[in-house]
Amino acid sequence: MNEVVEMTAPVAHAASGRIAPDHDAVVARKEPKILVCDANEAAAWGVVLSRPDMVAVYPITPQSSLAEYVAQFVADGVLDAELVEAEGEHSVLSVLHGAALAGARTYTASCGQGLAFMFEPYFRTPNLRLPIVMSIVNRDGITPQCVWGGQQDAMTVREVGWVQLFCETVQEVLDTIVMAYRIAEDRSVMLPVNVNHDGNYLSNGIVRIELPEQAEVDDFLGAPDVNWHAALDPKRPMGVDPLTGGATGPGPALFVGYRRGHCEGMQNALRVIVEVHEEWARRFGRRYAPLVEEYRLDDAEYALVTIGSMAGAAKDAVDAARERGEPVGLIRIKTLRPFPLDAMVAALDKVRAVGVVDRAVSYGWNSGPVHQETLAALQYCPHRVPCLSLIGGLAGADLTQAHFERAIAETARLLVSPCPREPVWLNAEDR
Amino acid sequence: MEQFDYVVLGASHAALEALRAIRAHDSDGSIAVLDREARLPVSPTVLPYVVSGKRPEDRIALRERGWFDDLRVDYRQQAHAAALDSAHSRLRLADGSEIGYGKLLLATGAAPAVPPIAGLSDVRFHVLRTLDDALALREAGRSAGRAVVLGAGLVGMHAAENLARAGARVTIIEMRDQVLPGYFDATAAARIQAAFHDNGVEVLTGRRVERVAPRAGGCTVQLDGGDPCDADLLLVAAGVRPEVSYLAGSGVAVERGVVVDAFMRSTAANVWAAGDVVQTPSFFGDATPAGGILPDAVEQGRTAGMSMAGDPGVQAYPGGVSLNTYGFFGRRALSVGRDAPQQGGADWEVLVRGGEGSDAYLKIVLRDGRLQGVFGVDVLFDPGIMWELILRRVELGARAKALLEDPQDAARALMSGLWR
Amino acid sequence: MSATPTIAFDAARCDGCGHCMNACVSAKSSDAHRAQPRIQILRDDESGRWGIAQCRQCGDPRCASVCPAAALEKGDDGIVAWDGERCVNCLICTAGCTFGGIAFSAAEGHVVKCDQCEGAPQCVAACTRGALRYVTTANLYNRWGDLEDLFVPGLGGCQGCNTELIMRHTLRRVGSNTVLATPPGCIPGMGSVGYNGMLGCKVPVFHPLLTNTASMLTGIRRQYKRKGRNVTALALAGDGGAGDVGFQSLSGAAERGEQILFICVDNEGYMNTGAQRSGSTTYGAWTATTPIGESARGKTQDAKNLPLLMMWHGCEYVATASTAFMEDFYAKLEAALDASQRGFAYLHLYSPCTSGWRFPSASNIEVARKAVETNFAVLWEYRRDQGLKLSRDIEDPAPVTEYLKLLGKFRHLDATQIAHIERHVAEQAQVLRELARMHPREGRQVVGHQSDLMAVDLDQ
Repeated sequence: MNEVVEMTAPVAHAASGRIAPDHDAVVARKEPKILVCDANEAAAWGVVLSRPDMVAVYPITPQSSLAEYVAQFVADGVLDAELVEAEGEHSVLSVLHGAALAGARTYTASCGQGLAFMFEPYFRTPNLRLPIVMSIVNRDGITPQCVWGGQQDAMTVREVGWVQLFCETVQEVLDTIVMAYRIAEDRSVMLPVNVNHDGNYLSNGIVRIELPEQAEVDDFLGAPDVNWHAALDPKRPMGVDPLTGGATGPGPALFVGYRRGHCEGMQNALRVIVEVHEEWARRFGRRYAPLVEEYRLDDAEYALVTIGSMAGAAKDAVDAARERGEPVGLIRIKTLRPFPLDAMVAALDKVRAVGVVDRAVSYGWNSGPVHQETLAALQYCPHRVPCLSLIGGLAGADLTQAHFERAIAETARLLVSPCPREPVWLNAEDR
Repeated sequence: MEQFDYVVLGASHAALEALRAIRAHDSDGSIAVLDREARLPVSPTVLPYVVSGKRPEDRIALRERGWFDDLRVDYRQQAHAAALDSAHSRLRLADGSEIGYGKLLLATGAAPAVPPIAGLSDVRFHVLRTLDDALALREAGRSAGRAVVLGAGLVGMHAAENLARAGARVTIIEMRDQVLPGYFDATAAARIQAAFHDNGVEVLTGRRVERVAPRAGGCTVQLDGGDPCDADLLLVAAGVRPEVSYLAGSGVAVERGVVVDAFMRSTAANVWAAGDVVQTPSFFGDATPAGGILPDAVEQGRTAGMSMAGDPGVQAYPGGVSLNTYGFFGRRALSVGRDAPQQGGADWEVLVRGGEGSDAYLKIVLRDGRLQGVFGVDVLFDPGIMWELILRRVELGARAKALLEDPQDAARALMSGLWR
Repeated sequence: MSATPTIAFDAARCDGCGHCMNACVSAKSSDAHRAQPRIQILRDDESGRWGIAQCRQCGDPRCASVCPAAALEKGDDGIVAWDGERCVNCLICTAGCTFGGIAFSAAEGHVVKCDQCEGAPQCVAACTRGALRYVTTANLYNRWGDLEDLFVPGLGGCQGCNTELIMRHTLRRVGSNTVLATPPGCIPGMGSVGYNGMLGCKVPVFHPLLTNTASMLTGIRRQYKRKGRNVTALALAGDGGAGDVGFQSLSGAAERGEQILFICVDNEGYMNTGAQRSGSTTYGAWTATTPIGESARGKTQDAKNLPLLMMWHGCEYVATASTAFMEDFYAKLEAALDASQRGFAYLHLYSPCTSGWRFPSASNIEVARKAVETNFAVLWEYRRDQGLKLSRDIEDPAPVTEYLKLLGKFRHLDATQIAHIERHVAEQAQVLRELARMHPREGRQVVGHQSDLMAVDLDQ
């Protein structure tokens, strides 16, 4: 666990009015205001601040240090939550199903194969409309054997019905975890939220972050509001998830009602995500683009589309290109599900060509999944925008400024020549 | 007008069993019981024991009031039904009030039949059907030197024995050729009659009463072609007739009693009947005497109650089987079922042991190898098992001989294998 | 109305020795008279079998209904009592009874009948052949009859299935402060959770996934504990949802000692979906996925012993039970419920499947009984602090074939297969016998000869 570093600089968050204490590190860790850590610890602090009733974890297949941080916080009394050391990810999420139906605010984290193993209850979670928050410390999938970052896990489950948020920075991870509970538990949403942060890139990079005040987070989140719609509580007996009637009786309409309600919740989430990010900025002074971030886009002729932490290096490459006079901008998707169609169309409409950088593969389309999403959004643009797929950063491969400079160059070429059908494999020549 | 889901007229065996059956299926429906009597219900069967003083009148009630309360039954005494309007589902009572019902059970029983004997209306005579009758008879019996009993049925025979025990000189007059006609054959009857004779009771069979005339302290009974017979006490025990006086114009068909189907439904909608008020169909489908049998009344009451409450477990009433357990002077006579007809064919078989002078008499009647009747004097068996063997039409085959030898054990062994 | 214990008679075991009648005479005689026995054992020469005549203490006694003197009454203790103060000796009761249960005794001068000797019938005590048994199962009704049935009146089980019995009796006892999990299978198939918005029971109920029953209950139980509420977490699961695809979550929850009452209704396969093989299916059994053909003779592996597997988890309580032995089942349900307040409690119920095992629907309880009497299904219980105990004697079992021949799913078995099953049954019984002899938790064992006073405390 990272020690707390004493800061001499004033704390950015003026509301606290205090500077992190400089005495005993262990004591200090219990109430830090500023700390230097990776995204896993930041996420764990986000969990602490959100005060879940129950956390269930399984440490392997694979897991990150996130689970260990949370376990230690529970052990240290920093976090007052039931900790269930389940025997696998499948049970991890199942335990949280039960707990949420009993009214608990819940949290877990997983990724890669663990997510794959969890898939059966994962698939069911949004259909039960349980506002569970779960980190995915994104990983690539096997085979070949791989324990490295990539977004294949989250991209593979994007049709399951969870809200999917992708963070760029360590601070954003912490803040987004807390915001995720507000989004998930909003009565017009009632959906589980995945807060994604990139394995290796964010999970291992140590930076300075700020911790909001617990009391202010409490005020921001309010009490858990989890099972008003579906409960397993002897005080309110009900049958959760009775069999619907198939082709007869009220079955089809009943089922359609559930599905349509789920879709409406997703669409409501677009509004709620924006509102929650606005409120977060107002209360805590940190502003994030809730759906789609536009970077140097207004005067751009073409742009990169990115998702997750790769945006950092990509922005550096954009800055360098701008200095060379190349009219390039950047679009970063924070919210992939629900898909922010309007925000995305507005951004795409500002340029004449885009190159979409994916850290995952959409096999049958011979491109990346975000590329597919972008293509779908382009259908709603008034003019035609050629759209190139670039795939990189698989299995922990670096996506450096140099890679993005190439991506910029490939995208610029769309202005003068036809868009290739083949994706550009950015790390194909890396050794 | 008061209204009940169920109204039951009468509170004797059939009515009480019907109440139990209704409540077993319908825990909520409102029930009223209207009884003519001013006292708690009493079975006519115990009345001879009241007459003899063997049982005090305050220890013979069939049910206490609490039993009705527990069943949430509105139990009303001295409530006489005067008229039934089945078309409008309401009853008029003797006091002029009206009660509406959802379903009605007629279980008003029977009243003593008074034979058309000249002069009978001019003399004081007793009957034995109610507790008041029994108390009056007991009182009269204490001072009666000489008593005459008209009728050698069960009531007459019981009463005669008890009057004799009380010290009276008793004469029984029966117009048929034997005592207990219809229940026992001549041989059995003779054994019983002999017991009465041995205990000082005079039994005159095959004799008619021509007329009766008042006499100081009693009456004189004039027999056909014989001497007059003085009586300090005259008991008329010439059978009973169904109590149907209130059914005139009601829409309920009455023949020898209320006509019912196999679920004890009368011919009027929502009106059932059970017990002695009913014209009981015979199980055998012939003219065998049926009705007036206590266990039968209970079966009818249960069938009616279940049918009224819509209990899906209800089964058709199989028809009456004559059945009697008769105790006399410390001895016992039992009869179940029917005797063979005089002109029975080859399908009939009659097995008998114990003729005149022997310790016991037993007669077993079979048809097509199936039990039709068992009659015993001074032989013990289980009438309930015999009854069930008849109802089930059990083929006895070679067991008939064993049954004759030891009817109790053989029938029990058979029962144990059949319906244990 | 209370239910009444019964004196049950097994004609096949009776040899007519008459000890029961003598014992009754002794019990009921006084100085004044020699009693007539209230139990009669009689031989039917035609069939060569012994029969019995004795009062059944009917729930709806006709002897009492027909009594004109109100001398017979069924008491709160269930016994039909005779009142000599009221009886007029009319014998009409003997006409009301079709069992020869009340009869005139010349020596005693009145009718006599069995009164079950105030709960200790002497006839049963005198029977050395097991032909008479005092069956007190009726007491279950008296103890639990007033508890609310928490399932809907109509559950859609197959005809003759005992699972509805298990469900209703269990939930009655466990009560309404419960969350019930019924993973996919026969139990929700009957409608426990409900259909189309109609609920199947009065407690909160849900379909877990087939795989995650114990895990979901973990979350529920822990959350309520956290909030200071003692809500019972109850699972009614099939053998597949418990022991095959559901085993991981079951094992995990048991290992963690979650406070759950997990009941496995074992019908030895996936019977709700057309009788497919599971890990609990018996060797040799026909199932839809282990069919009989030219080169196949049913399942080729033995069933796993799920309750023993659960025992090795060190659960608070593990037991096997059968609906043919309801008192035993109830006692274990009680113990399991109690144990589930402290840790994991696992109850394994044998549930013969009328449709999937191919036997007449009227025979379910008989099949269940035979399974136990042949040691095919051994009844035992394990408590963490006491080890394993056998619930009934297993030393003189009936031949396994008596069980196998009842079931269509075994109809094709050849001699080799039968021998295999017999061997497996004997081995399982031997394992349980040995386990029952061990008392690992007692902690103190004498080492060396009897005379050696040195005792070693193995806990230290």
